[in-house]
Amino acid sequence: MKPFKFEQATTAVQASQTHADAAPNARFISGGTDILGEIKESVLEVNILVSLAGLSGASEIISSDLGLEIGALVTLARIASDQSIVETYPALAQAAESVATPQIRNVGTLGGNLCQRPRCWYYRSPLFDCLKKGGETCFASDEGNKYHAILGAENCHIVHPSDVAVALLALDATVVVSNASGDRQMPIGDFFVSPDVNMLAENVLEPGEFVSKVKIPKPSSGTRSVYLKAKERQAYDFALSSVAVSLEVRDETITQAHVVLGGVAPVPYSVPQVDSELTGQKIREVDVQAIGQLAVKDAQPLSDNSYKVRLTASMVARAVSRLISE
Amino acid sequence: MAQLPISYSASITLNVNGTDHQIEVDHRWTLLRVLRDVLGLTGAKRGCDRGECGACTVLVDGDPVCSCSMLALQVGGRQVRTVEGLGDANSLNVLQEAFLAEDGGQCGFCTPGFIMSATALLESNTDPTEDEIKAALVGNICRCNAYGRIIESVKAAAKSEAS
Amino acid sequence: MTTFKTIGKSEPRRDLPEKLTGEAKYTADVQLPGMLFGKILRSPHPHARILSINVDAARNLPGVRAVVTPFDAPKGQVAPDMPILDTEARYVGDEVAAVAADDEDLAEAALSLIEVKYEQLPFVTDAVEAIKPDAPQTRPGGNLVGGKPLTLIRGSVEEGFAQADRIFEETYSTPAQAGAALEPRAAVASWDGDNLTVWKSTRGVHADQLALSLALDVPRGNIRVMGQNMGAGYGTKDETRLGAITAVLAQRAGRPVKIELTRQEEFVAGRHRHGTTTTVRMGVKNDGTVTAVHATTIMDTGAYLSSGPGVIRRAGQGALYLYRCANVQYDGYLTYTNTPSGGSYRALGAPQGHFALESLADTISEALGIDPLEFRLKNHVGLEGQPGERVTPANEVLDTQPVEGGVPFSSNGLRECLQRGSEAIDWGQPSERPESGNLRRGKGMGMFIYRGGAGGRSIARMRLESDGSLRLLTGLMDVGEGSLTVMPQIAAEELGVGYGQVLVTFGDSETTPEAPLTAGSTATFSTGTATKEAARQLKARIIEVVAPLLDTEPSNLQITDDGVEHIQYPERSVSFAQIAESVGEIEVEAAISPGSRDHVINSFGAHFAEVEVDTDTGQVRVLRYIAAHDSGRILNPKLAINQVEGGVSQMLGFTLSEQMLTDPRNGVTLNASFLEHKSPTVQDFPEMQVLFADVVDPVGPFGAKALGEPPSIGVAPAVANAIYNAIGVRIRDLPLTPDRVLNEIEAQRGDSQ
Ligand SMILES: Cc1cc2nc3c(=O)[nH]c(=O)nc-3n(C[C@H](O)[C@H](O)[C@H](O)COP(=O)(O)OP(=O)(O)OC[C@H]3O[C@@H](n4cnc5c(N)ncnc54)[C@H](O)[C@@H]3O)c2cc1C
Ligand code: SF4
Ligand code: FES
Ligand code: FES
Repeated sequence: MKPFKFEQATTAVQASQTHADAAPNARFISGGTDILGEIKESVLEVNILVSLAGLSGASEIISSDLGLEIGALVTLARIASDQSIVETYPALAQAAESVATPQIRNVGTLGGNLCQRPRCWYYRSPLFDCLKKGGETCFASDEGNKYHAILGAENCHIVHPSDVAVALLALDATVVVSNASGDRQMPIGDFFVSPDVNMLAENVLEPGEFVSKVKIPKPSSGTRSVYLKAKERQAYDFALSSVAVSLEVRDETITQAHVVLGGVAPVPYSVPQVDSELTGQKIREVDVQAIGQLAVKDAQPLSDNSYKVRLTASMVARAVSRLISE
Repeated sequence: MAQLPISYSASITLNVNGTDHQIEVDHRWTLLRVLRDVLGLTGAKRGCDRGECGACTVLVDGDPVCSCSMLALQVGGRQVRTVEGLGDANSLNVLQEAFLAEDGGQCGFCTPGFIMSATALLESNTDPTEDEIKAALVGNICRCNAYGRIIESVKAAAKSEAS
Repeated sequence: MTTFKTIGKSEPRRDLPEKLTGEAKYTADVQLPGMLFGKILRSPHPHARILSINVDAARNLPGVRAVVTPFDAPKGQVAPDMPILDTEARYVGDEVAAVAADDEDLAEAALSLIEVKYEQLPFVTDAVEAIKPDAPQTRPGGNLVGGKPLTLIRGSVEEGFAQADRIFEETYSTPAQAGAALEPRAAVASWDGDNLTVWKSTRGVHADQLALSLALDVPRGNIRVMGQNMGAGYGTKDETRLGAITAVLAQRAGRPVKIELTRQEEFVAGRHRHGTTTTVRMGVKNDGTVTAVHATTIMDTGAYLSSGPGVIRRAGQGALYLYRCANVQYDGYLTYTNTPSGGSYRALGAPQGHFALESLADTISEALGIDPLEFRLKNHVGLEGQPGERVTPANEVLDTQPVEGGVPFSSNGLRECLQRGSEAIDWGQPSERPESGNLRRGKGMGMFIYRGGAGGRSIARMRLESDGSLRLLTGLMDVGEGSLTVMPQIAAEELGVGYGQVLVTFGDSETTPEAPLTAGSTATFSTGTATKEAARQLKARIIEVVAPLLDTEPSNLQITDDGVEHIQYPERSVSFAQIAESVGEIEVEAAISPGSRDHVINSFGAHFAEVEVDTDTGQVRVLRYIAAHDSGRILNPKLAINQVEGGVSQMLGFTLSEQMLTDPRNGVTLNASFLEHKSPTVQDFPEMQVLFADVVDPVGPFGAKALGEPPSIGVAPAVANAIYNAIGVRIRDLPLTPDRVLNEIEAQRGDSQ
């Protein structure tokens, strides 16, 4: 590990300024479970790690009539077990529970999970100088791409690694971003950007900016949600494919739907055609297989990952069918 | 003369197994490194150094964490518990006795990590189901795959703690 | 029935208490005053000549104490095809140079200052490609080891196929499976004048001592190898290069040096189960009688030979010996590639060979309309061994992995394994139908044979010590399989004392006598036999010296927990301490080159799996697993069950999720981590039942046979056959990951449309 300086910020302003001043060689650290791996692997070189752990107010979960506010430092373990989340935002609790291992969930934070770097094995190896690291080629485009994207990728075929992000998008969350001069917020769908927009980052954060919290609107009483994840072994693993679905059902009719795919695209992937197809349908009449197929209609699999098309269609069908039979 | 990379150090208070240690750490040192190399507590093992195997599991404020994947500086002022705080070979605690009776280990390299994860489980849930046991231990890899005996060991410990 | 004091009892594992408390010291836990930390520079190229290395900058870094490169390393070999450091790099990760510095961070910094000039050479990363005539050459002698295949023949397959009504042929492949012991390799070396002490994770301190002596050109007597507790190896931790590099650095620095590999290094520079491609061709009569078996295996040894020649041979044992058949042939092609090296790994090539053989057996059964269990019951090799003439002269020791016919087994419980295992899984009863429409269940089986029994020469020493304690000394290592527990059980039983009374000293080349590697499941057999003999001798000696003390004949005396007593007049007795006091220490030594002139000693078993396949997601879940083993008498049931369960679970990883992937474009291992080389976790562990055949081997110590490795052999075929039974799809390439299951289902649908 190359030497770096660990700076414990105590205020948002200090955190932001320290980071901005040292950019591009500064990074934030929350739990450290992802970034330390990158540094040890020599994929990332930093001079300063700015710790957010000391920021007040960023470790709270506030539940109100308007909805939920989760501080960026809240751990995944707390999200998975928080009573209000388990009851009212089940997809989120399930997504958090599906992440990694108890040890990682006890330390890994919401903010860190959303901002974790890709797991593409070329990206994570110092022996491949790929596009995402400023190099010339994508090593995944022709072979060795079993875990890569089937949707929404042009030059770089990463899949976004976060489970939590997929659920949050289905729940229409808003991300609050802070810097020294204040906050800005945006729908979580606008927070993530694909490599075609910015090859070197997976989100819109500017130097000095960090995620301070995430807000989720309170779902109406008829709303249900679920998160399902397919993995290569029973236990801890990143998603081969995952899906979060939120449905509002009134009088046996779907009045709102949001289906989001994970593990298949460089960003958590919304499929608006599916949402509008579902909306207005009687729950008894939904053809879940057709919905699954529709969700992967635009898929462009690579040499080794066409299985993901079928897998994802099945996952969507299963998630929708689970919710309509609830 | 080649240049030594500049490194940063800091003084922290680390509370391990109830004792405060005032130590100098390099900013980049992980908790695991400090436990093993500075404090000589070699019970926690370096199996992967990436949060993927659980051999380095210790409890921080009661929760199992991978000590390889946290900096020592992140833990200053918090309570760390390691396997050394549980008992020695001549006075095993209930959990350790159960592992001995049920043969819950082979080469033993994963064992301290399992013991710590199981300790945290049993402190929060005295009567875990098999599924709960598995969920609590899933972050610990036993490459000898002694899982069958490990599950039995934790079950037996829960039983004898209850009686 | 004989009643035993300790044999057959689940005595607690000797070394477990201190492992449970963290007190047990592994190599990486060794701390010596003034100790430096070493790091190894590794090749980024799959094949390259090292033209020059500039270490000036690294050497000048304050705190760097020693550097070694191929240009200045001692010239000895650590293996026949491997010097301590070489000017040719043969895979991405090959050792190029090493440094020792005051701490780990400095050593790492120093590595980044070393400049190496490479001349890149053509490379090949695939074994099947490598044996083609125009393949890039990894070695001057060609890629194929020995220039020709290993061919083993009994009878004539041409004749066998001529007798067949039908002939079946299929090709199967298995990937490289990393050993990935949880403890990464580590070594500590310390010199005191001309004397070297090395601590390392190993399974053979004596073998290491010899290898280091040859490599470093230091007399064997000057080298002491201390096997610490070993965080397992499953056979993969044989190599000496790490120990030799550490020793050279320590010598140059004049201070002790420790090198611990990182996890990634352990994956790449450690050893793995060889990847294979196996074609099996079998001839059968319409009634199911097997008339010919011909197997051909192409095996990738990677950059170095390691134990490849033994492994390629082992891959053929199933084809040559599992089915009763007069006409069999095995051709094994062992080939170099520019990838990490294979090595010994639990049951060596047997799992690979059996996967192909036992999968094909199911295909044949189905085609002939015979139940797969019936097919095996009809054809499995029996106690009498294979038909044919004995080739080995009558007064010579038989190979434990024979090719010839006409030699009987010492015992053979295969049929009992088939019967009891099939009952336990309710063979013949279809699986329950799962609730959900896309889940399918099925059952499968596989049987196996494994050489075991005799290993190399083994010496056990037993002592009545001056304080009256009894001690067993062997050079054996307990690598997690429990020999530290089982050996004193054998000694105690033979002596007639309680298990707890026999102390043991293991794994130190200076204080213990020679023992073979804890390898090939031979520990119980060879060291066990030596131990039993040493205990017998010690007992005789003790009684002999006590007789005059008690003023009687030896035949009137017996050993008890406390000492020796007169059989008729138990009040006439002396304690062990008194004996030692009056006659001093007694030491005996037994050397055994086990092996039999009359019998082949093999272990057997049959595995049965019930699986559930999710046809939507391709995920396979093992619901139930039955492992039935003939390993002779079970000396310690709880340890034995642990060993079998662990072996099965480990191989469920091999079957369902683990594989080392090399990028063919640049030879880089893509998934050198536990996250990506997917080892099973506790959640993958199925409901499992372990059965032991009621066999007492007439040759093995107290009737025991090999147990450590056989559990790994039956897993892949049992699970693959169960998947076929569930969904009617046969996947011939391991691991059976969701993508393969889905692709295969898709392909099948395509075919049937
Ligand atoms: C073995 C293992 C298995 C895993 N499996 C999964 C899985 O199945 N699913 C999954 O989703 N994840 C998985 N992960 C990733 C894990 O969830 C992340 O490591 C964790 O959530 C990161 O949180 P952290 O607080 O530790 O982040 P850190 O490591 O502290 O930071 C991660 C990144 O985010 C940046 N960052 C941190 N906080 C903020 C913030 N508030 N604002 C802006 N930037 C920030 C950092 O600069 C860094 O680049 C796994 C990780 C491991 C080690
Ligand atoms: S997918 Fe992206 S991160 Fe991976 S190799 Fe291609 S460019 Fe790099
Ligand atoms: S060493 Fe920390 S998880 Fe493996
Ligand atoms: S006992 Fe060896 S890794 Fe668990």
